[in-house]
Amino acid sequence: MVPELLKKEIKTYNAHKAELVGQSKGKFVLIKDDRIVGVFESEMDAAHQGYERFGNVPFLVKQVVEVEVPLDFTSSLLGV
Amino acid sequence: MPALTVQLADLQAEGPRLDVRLTDAAGAAPPVAVDALIDTGATVTVVANQIVKQLSLSPMGTALVHTPSSTHVRCYKYLVRLVLPNGVGLETIAIGTPLRGQHIQCLIGRDVLRNAVFVYTGPTNTFTLSF
Repeated sequence: MVPELLKKEIKTYNAHKAELVGQSKGKFVLIKDDRIVGVFESEMDAAHQGYERFGNVPFLVKQVVEVEVPLDFTSSLLGV
Repeated sequence: MPALTVQLADLQAEGPRLDVRLTDAAGAAPPVAVDALIDTGATVTVVANQIVKQLSLSPMGTALVHTPSSTHVRCYKYLVRLVLPNGVGLETIAIGTPLRGQHIQCLIGRDVLRNAVFVYTGPTNTFTLSF
């Protein structure tokens, strides 16, 4: 799936990835449109900040990592 | 530590299912009652896309997902609040996917269980969840 709703934010992340990995590896970055809003210690803190600042609209919270590790699900209930 | 014990007719057949209410993190959306399954095989909690739509949730991230039948599927992440039948409320970041099956609309994953004691008692068809 191409994450259309977060296309702009993912582009912003990719544009700044090298610099983010160098400075904030393992932390969580909050991005809205083409702006890096901040870097946080936890995903939940970044998400709360996003909802406080922008409300119920798409924004991106992403862990700063070189390679993203997939989440595992053993259940066959997931329809993906 | 608040505890919730659920007894089912056939725990093996049904799995550890419970009724939960889901809402957005701000509690602004009217809660939606869903049938949830505690799934120790799920890294994080999953909410069916139809519920995401009902709650008008906006994504706050994406995750790559591996399942027995697919790899590297990208799904949206949402901040949600679960309310258990005993009134305990939990906030977590869930992924949204279609869910197969007739009833299950939420998988409660290890992101929730990491703060809980989960006891599965097969002989009495009961399970207990404590936080």
